[in-house]
Amino acid sequence: MEFLRPASWAEALELKAEYPDAVPIQGGTDVMVEINFDLRRPARLLDLNPVAELSRWSTTGGVLRVGAGMTYTSLIRELSADLPGLAQASRTVGSPQIRNRGSVGGNLGAASPAGDSHPPLLAADAEIEVESRARGSRLIPATAFYQGVKRSALAPDELIRAFHVAPATGPQYFSKIGTRNAMVIAVCSFAIALHPRRRAVGTGIGSAAPTPRRAGAAEEYIAAELDWDSRAALDPRVVARFGELVAQAASPIDDVRGTADYRRHALGVLARRTLTWAWHEHMRERTTT
Amino acid sequence: MTTVAARAVGTEADRVEGLEKVTGRARYAFEHPIEDMVYAAPVPSVVARGEVIAVDVAEALTFPGVIDVLWHGNAPKLERVGNAELHVLQSPRVAYRGQYIAVVIAKTLEEAREAALRVGVEYAVERHDVGLRADHPRLYRPERVNPDLPADVQQGDPDTALAAAPVTVDAVYRTPAEHNNPMEPHATVARWDAEGLTLYDSTQGATSLRDAVAPLFGIEPSSVRVIAPHVGGGFGAKGEPHPPVVLAALAARRTGRPVKLAVTRQQMFSVTGYRTPTIQRVRLGAHPDGHLTAIVHDAVEQSSTIHEFAEQTTTPTRIMYAAPNRRTTHRLVRLDVPTPSWMRAPGEAPGMFALESAMDELAAACGLDPIELRIRNEPEVDPETGLPFSSRNLVACLRDGARRFGWADRDPAPGVRRRGRLLIGTGVAASTYPVYRSACQATARAEPGGIFTVRIAAADIGTGARTVLTQIAADVLRVPLGRVRVAIGDSALPRASLAGGSSGTASWGTAVTRACEALRDELDRRGGTPSTGVTVSVDTTEENGEPSRFARHAFGAQFAEVGVDRDTGEARVRRLLGVFAVGRVLNPKTARSQFIGGMTMGLSMALLEESVLDREFGDYLNHDLAQYHVAACADVPAVEAYWVEESDPHLNPMGSKGIGEIGIVGTAAAVANAVHHATGIRVRDLPIRLDKLLT
Repeated sequence: MEFLRPASWAEALELKAEYPDAVPIQGGTDVMVEINFDLRRPARLLDLNPVAELSRWSTTGGVLRVGAGMTYTSLIRELSADLPGLAQASRTVGSPQIRNRGSVGGNLGAASPAGDSHPPLLAADAEIEVESRARGSRLIPATAFYQGVKRSALAPDELIRAFHVAPATGPQYFSKIGTRNAMVIAVCSFAIALHPRRRAVGTGIGSAAPTPRRAGAAEEYIAAELDWDSRAALDPRVVARFGELVAQAASPIDDVRGTADYRRHALGVLARRTLTWAWHEHMRERTTT
Repeated sequence: MTTVAARAVGTEADRVEGLEKVTGRARYAFEHPIEDMVYAAPVPSVVARGEVIAVDVAEALTFPGVIDVLWHGNAPKLERVGNAELHVLQSPRVAYRGQYIAVVIAKTLEEAREAALRVGVEYAVERHDVGLRADHPRLYRPERVNPDLPADVQQGDPDTALAAAPVTVDAVYRTPAEHNNPMEPHATVARWDAEGLTLYDSTQGATSLRDAVAPLFGIEPSSVRVIAPHVGGGFGAKGEPHPPVVLAALAARRTGRPVKLAVTRQQMFSVTGYRTPTIQRVRLGAHPDGHLTAIVHDAVEQSSTIHEFAEQTTTPTRIMYAAPNRRTTHRLVRLDVPTPSWMRAPGEAPGMFALESAMDELAAACGLDPIELRIRNEPEVDPETGLPFSSRNLVACLRDGARRFGWADRDPAPGVRRRGRLLIGTGVAASTYPVYRSACQATARAEPGGIFTVRIAAADIGTGARTVLTQIAADVLRVPLGRVRVAIGDSALPRASLAGGSSGTASWGTAVTRACEALRDELDRRGGTPSTGVTVSVDTTEENGEPSRFARHAFGAQFAEVGVDRDTGEARVRRLLGVFAVGRVLNPKTARSQFIGGMTMGLSMALLEESVLDREFGDYLNHDLAQYHVAACADVPAVEAYWVEESDPHLNPMGSKGIGEIGIVGTAAAVANAVHHATGIRVRDLPIRLDKLLT
């Protein structure tokens, strides 16, 4: 196995163009597990850790650009106010050691349906910045990024450079079901983001379909039902219907972590719960302004 | 001797090897530096039943670094003695998926693992049967159950009594297969030389491992030396010998070089034993006032086709409660699975989950407080043997626990306490564990400088055994702790029983006491320590052989408070409290660790642990720590352990009962009973997964 260590982003792209089979590695929290279990045996690893810019973030034109190598720990520390949904999800990832090493870029690269960062990225309309030496960079909406179990829209010669997302303009919440309180892969998870200016709602479903996905019908339904101006209390029937629509958007399976029926049920609960939290926060904000 | 020292027994002495461990100097099996070492990588069977018809080693042998590949066609022959699990690479038969088929020996671990993947194995596959069922046609009654108890016991006429009982409980409880996951996986370094075989091994018993391995190779036990100064947890998984240590010894024999073999976490799910799944039917007959008239407890469990391990699932029911009519049985079926073995409180832990859940159900049926129900059925003497108990303080544990836990004002109604979206409930269960003790030898030596050395082949698997034996020796010798050295973990030391059955301190401590007493007498006789020092030896075989006129058991009571999310079914333990009656507690610090460790493992058994069988392929799906969940620190917010004063002169010179296992016994039932109190849902099959708590 060859271990490639580019010193810069440009060099990384060069190497990826030359060796499209090279597997990028950042924290190693996924890649190393797969290698240890002999699930994959890449001819080359492309170590992105020396590319310092990947662990930084910036703001351009009101949009955050977050380097793919930023660890969960740094993200929680630096971006909790701007990306509350993603920060909440980040806090549930693995253990402190895993959060110190793992990154959202790695989560995207692995594209596991159980990855904790996907639902909040979907809910917040994030776009993934990928780049190749041959074709330059492009932005892929999160909705188009996930293409199958552990498959993404990333071309073989491309690397994930960053994700772009607008800072939250409304409440964002993430919730996850696990069998224990730490170091647990989601049985299912759900994220919601309210976009009051656009009068829109974003959602993300995790661990309950071959890919992370949005619950489109649920989003449209709730955006139309919410009383954005008066910020009136939620009608329980509307909340219930939202939960049903979210559950319907999933296509879960039975596995060792839970049954399909349980996942559908629990997603409905998570959807109702996070919507209620988000709307209460929305109402509170009005009271205080 | 004139030295007077403060008593060490009963104090919270720090671990004597603590500094060595926290600074990384303590050597575990895999860490012993040996020259000219090579590595072994096993080739496991990928079928659950059949015959190996061809092994192609040609490609593997071409790999760089590869020294040899062993399989049943070329492996050194072993004597057919003892447990057939240990007849490694002796036959083409495959008895379970994951069984060792071959082993590659190479200069590095990486080379060995790589080449192991290139060994071509051709199988004649046969249909396998890996499913335990209560109506399996091949169920049979084992002759004895572990460790050496009758399979079935009956008194009175339980069937008639059940039919006539005004109140009955008749329920089936299930516990899944569970796997021990000590921090340190099993590992061996094996070396042959002119003296014989040396094994650096992660074992719970140096003497017993030596005695098991020697006859396999047709050599005297004195030609085998087992060295295990430190062991990173065992819980029973390192008690009985398992195939890896034999494979390492075979590989070393064949290559003539020291061989290192470390079992991977995943392989532990095939070759180092596990807790058998159980299907248990419990029937209780009682008067409306709760007095039991009949207790019937029938267990169905499994073993492999090549070795019988019969777990003693229903044996605690023989001594727990008074009832004139009673029956306990064990039925076994031999499946195409690995052989089960010991896992902390084998038998008692799953058995008491069933009995103590049933008692909770009976309390509800009689409208009685579950503590009161247990007190009403407290036996005067051991119901099975009629012998008096040497001490039995279950009631004291229940009462003391109730007071500490705040049980008094408990509303028995299930499913009515809400805190936000949580349903809150509390539960109680009793626990018990038998008192075992085995014969040992020990030596004690006095040096002229006032230093004493006690030698015994005991094992410290993380329990604090080395420390407590030092305390015992210091007190008998009447010297401060710092003047006593205790050498353990080596079969070259005087023979000792293994760390199992919660019997270590009782067995080793007796020998240490007798050795130190003999040394003290010898020094008194001589009027001091001679310039060459003086050594005495003892053997407790005779003392240990005296039959006891008492039934000897430890008891305890566990209390749990749980919160169950009523929408998602997520159950979490909020508080866990145990009170134990275990004779004299010799070191409160290490004892507390044993109790809270056992209770934590019981919590884990209640909510998380389950080895999920893949029926199609015959192995366990969740064979790693990402998928086989054990409780994390965040799952155990508050766990408290206490003990009642108990003076029992009928045990051993220390007056102690074993404490390694009782903590897990009863805990799962306490949690399940609390979940019922919280939700009204009675979960009779562990673990209490979240999908079982949705209504």
